[in-house]
Amino acid sequence: MRSISIYIAILSVIIFLSYPISLSFPQQDDAARKRAKEILREVDDMWRGASSHTILTMQVKTSHYTRNIRLEGWSKGKEKTLVRILTPLKEKGTATLKSGNNIYSYLPRTDRTIRLTSGMMMGSWMGSHFTNDDLVKESRMEEDYDPTVSFEGRRNNQDIIEFTLIPKPDAAVVWGKVVLTVLTDDYIPLIQYYYDEDMNIARTITFNKIQQMAGRPRPTVMRVVPADKLNEYTELIYEKIEMDIKLSDAFFSLSHLKHR
Amino acid sequence: MKLGKIAWRNLWRRKRRTLITGISIGFGVMLAVTFTGTGDYGYTNMINTSAIMGLGHVTIEPYGYNQTPSLDKRLKKTGQIRERVLAMPGVNDAIVRITGQAMFASASKTIGGMFMGIDPAQESPEQNLLIRSLVQGEVFSGKDGRGVVVGNKMAEKLNLRIGKKLVYTTTDVNGEIVSEIARVTGIFKTGVNEVDGGMVLLPINSVRITLHYDAQDATLLAVIINDQRYAERMRDSISLAEADPQIEVLSWQQTQADLAGIITMDRSGNYISQFLIGLLIAAGILNTLLMSVLERTREFGVMMAVGMSPRTLFMLVVVESLWLAIIGIVIGIIITAPWYAYLYYVGLDFSGAIGEDYSAGGILVDPLLRIRLYKESIIAILTGVFSLTLLAGLYPAWRAGRIPPVESLKAM
Amino acid sequence: MKILSIASRSVFRNWRRTLITTLAMGFSGFIMILFAALMAGMLQTSERNAVAMNLGDIQIHAEGYRDDPDLYNRIDNAAGLVNKLQQAGFHATQRIYGFGLAAAGSTSAGVQMRGVNLKNEATVTQVHKHVMQGQWLADSNPMGVVIGRKLARTLGVRPGNEVIIIGQATDGSMANNLYTVRGILKSIGEEVDRAGFFMVERSFRELMVLPEGAHEIAVMRPDRSSDLESAAAQVAALARGYETLNWRQLRPFIARVLDLADAQTIIMILITYVAVAMVILNAMLMSVFERIREFGIMKAIGVTPWQLMTLIYAETMIQVLIASSISLASGWSAAHYFQKNGIDLSAIASSTSFGGVAIDPIWNAHVTTKALALPIVFLFVIAAAAVIYPAIKAAVIHPVKAIHYH
Repeated sequence: MRSISIYIAILSVIIFLSYPISLSFPQQDDAARKRAKEILREVDDMWRGASSHTILTMQVKTSHYTRNIRLEGWSKGKEKTLVRILTPLKEKGTATLKSGNNIYSYLPRTDRTIRLTSGMMMGSWMGSHFTNDDLVKESRMEEDYDPTVSFEGRRNNQDIIEFTLIPKPDAAVVWGKVVLTVLTDDYIPLIQYYYDEDMNIARTITFNKIQQMAGRPRPTVMRVVPADKLNEYTELIYEKIEMDIKLSDAFFSLSHLKHR
Repeated sequence: MKLGKIAWRNLWRRKRRTLITGISIGFGVMLAVTFTGTGDYGYTNMINTSAIMGLGHVTIEPYGYNQTPSLDKRLKKTGQIRERVLAMPGVNDAIVRITGQAMFASASKTIGGMFMGIDPAQESPEQNLLIRSLVQGEVFSGKDGRGVVVGNKMAEKLNLRIGKKLVYTTTDVNGEIVSEIARVTGIFKTGVNEVDGGMVLLPINSVRITLHYDAQDATLLAVIINDQRYAERMRDSISLAEADPQIEVLSWQQTQADLAGIITMDRSGNYISQFLIGLLIAAGILNTLLMSVLERTREFGVMMAVGMSPRTLFMLVVVESLWLAIIGIVIGIIITAPWYAYLYYVGLDFSGAIGEDYSAGGILVDPLLRIRLYKESIIAILTGVFSLTLLAGLYPAWRAGRIPPVESLKAM
Repeated sequence: MKILSIASRSVFRNWRRTLITTLAMGFSGFIMILFAALMAGMLQTSERNAVAMNLGDIQIHAEGYRDDPDLYNRIDNAAGLVNKLQQAGFHATQRIYGFGLAAAGSTSAGVQMRGVNLKNEATVTQVHKHVMQGQWLADSNPMGVVIGRKLARTLGVRPGNEVIIIGQATDGSMANNLYTVRGILKSIGEEVDRAGFFMVERSFRELMVLPEGAHEIAVMRPDRSSDLESAAAQVAALARGYETLNWRQLRPFIARVLDLADAQTIIMILITYVAVAMVILNAMLMSVFERIREFGIMKAIGVTPWQLMTLIYAETMIQVLIASSISLASGWSAAHYFQKNGIDLSAIASSTSFGGVAIDPIWNAHVTTKALALPIVFLFVIAAAAVIYPAIKAAVIHPVKAIHYH
């Protein structure tokens, strides 16, 4: 699902930059960049796979409410994602379908499916600190950003690589830049910063609790903290991840959205 | 006939009375001129200002757009339509624009609003209020590119400055959600909060690409005409020339019904007030004329005895009332002229009373009270004065003709 | 008094002249009264439009709510505060607001939902009488909603159609429910027309998970002629900790426009008075000067100048008295008629808004004591003033000159 894809994009960046060539030959920038893209794509495939299936818990804490929901999600390629609420009972069956640039919501209480309008895209997704727009945009990180390595070495007793992603001039993203820090070992992400155009941090994502899942070590807890409200957060806790399972296109259709 | 001269002399036999009545008519003229003139100026101003806020005096739109605006409705081949309309007499300009709703986002916030896709080559500060109200930076230079001009309130809310980017999200012609980036090239301030906080200008070709429109597609053609009073006539001629079931041609009265409503109501209120005052003055005239007739009963009696017909006496009084009207108008012009000149060239400044936000019916109100009298209004006022005075004179004239000679000699 | 009887006799002797003069004055008075009543009515209607339809005289909000309407920024214990206000003699109602998406068929629109407390709202505003199609809300029909005119058009719905509402509830979950359009409002004001979505208070609370509290308390003075500022101060004292504003502060533009209109009406009335003054001046002057011969003879037979003046004044006052009665009778009945029926301008302007607020196109007069009394007083004053010059002239003129006067 969405968080996985962001996760994947991040990791893909890490992986491609882990190749020494791109690091030690700065004058071969063009070649390095091309290489980076190839690796990015490889990793993307590796992590997103042809398809995926996850079960996770999302905990949202804002100054007005605390929310705990358990979700099940599927993805196929970059374009199709389906997420369904499992608990609480009141919201069970509520589902979001992303198909390309469109997002559909199914609401079991009224038994209605609506397509999100442009006005709703900036609204929060499922009450979290992610917006509906994030869901659409995260699969486009490769197309929207130009990555470079801004630091490599030791920091805080850890061997890390720091990447800076600058949005391309035509990319429809509001950020000024995205900075990601990963461990050199296994390229596990540590922390990711989103900056506005004035280079102030707008939001922070931290990665914790590394565990073995679906064949590799990964962070299983991801926390998003908005810069203007530091006592709020949205946390994703992964319970189960499966990759490359068989999913038909019909699985991601509107009629299937309603399925309980 | 000599009637005119006699009537004139009769009037001036009672100088004071004639003068007072004349002054009251003159006063009525001044009133009518002031209220009609300031009204006309004000309305013309409001109409012209609102015309340059986006829709023009006459708007050419896709059929049904006025009722339910949406981005899938568009005009085709606007370039050709524009050329044809520009060739029509009375047309000052015809501007092609795309308008629609969108969400505008920066890293800090998202707000909803409207965009206007324009071609800077077709636009100018005279024809586009937003361009006229530019306070910082400038409009983007061409119809392509990633420039955007925003209002100062939006810039505040989204924390934007010249050069900073914003992302706008809208729905394209196929109903798909699309997003694009744009960088602020200029900031405007109109004083109307809704506009300053919710409208942006974008280059029209960029908008076409974003919305997946064809090269010549647009939402509307705003037609600016030389004289706003002919708006409905222009609409009809354009409608005839561009007969196409997909197209609708509307006048500002239809696209801005609220404004039309306010103007009509204000004008009616104005007319009713003027009518009442006119009645008042007519009463005064009636009083004067009647008194003058009654006190000349003897005189008229003698005239009839020596052979003057009642009809001639009737006409005599009627001519007297005509002279009275003319005297009144002359006095009116004398009183009004300096006052009119002042209002015409200088005007009364009410900006202190109105304050910062000048919107009414959604458009700007000019705080300066000035005057502008159209030919039609002048004719109307003159006609009004003459008719009222003549009307007031009818009864006395009739009385004059009715006086039986013998009775009159017994006079009061 | 002798002078009075002489005066009245001479007045009625020349009944024709008296009639003309008194009719002229009476008519002027009639116009003045009607005019004043119409102007007063226009101001009252404008204020009523601005205020009584939706705004109320005074509103209470939590601090900061108006600049940034946040679902969470509420007035706690709103019901209690409303009770307190009602006990203090005010009419008050609590309102809850939220923003969401309304969808019907394939169209959708952003709306501002409002939870309405039916009982209290009816004591504060007139909005429940302004339903164009269908009916107003009812507690017995919790899923029935009433929407703004333009919203209904955008969504393409009529009474009986279904609308779904989606929003974010206070607990972060996606609020959604299905409602039926029960009524569509006439033009109330720009915001309500475009995005107004009214529902029964209980339904709103359930939808948005907002068991108590409100975003706005609208208050109306029991007596609309009492002072606005002192009433607002009273309310503010009861609503400590919250922001209390009167309608002039909430809508400064409308306040200024109404003040301007007020000033304009005063000017118009002044002008009317000047016009009337001239008519009366004329009438009085004529009525004295043409009898100067008569006065000369009276002087010749021994009437003192002072007695003459008194006589002239007495005649004038009798005429004015008659004129005033004519004015009052005709003026009052006409003004009263227009107060009840009003001039209908809707043939010319069907719906209009000004500064975001809808305007009722019917122009009603408003009969006030001022509208009736001032013109009459004015008649007396002007007539008295107008007669000064001719009366003095008549009083001092040499009798022989008077007889030959022309």
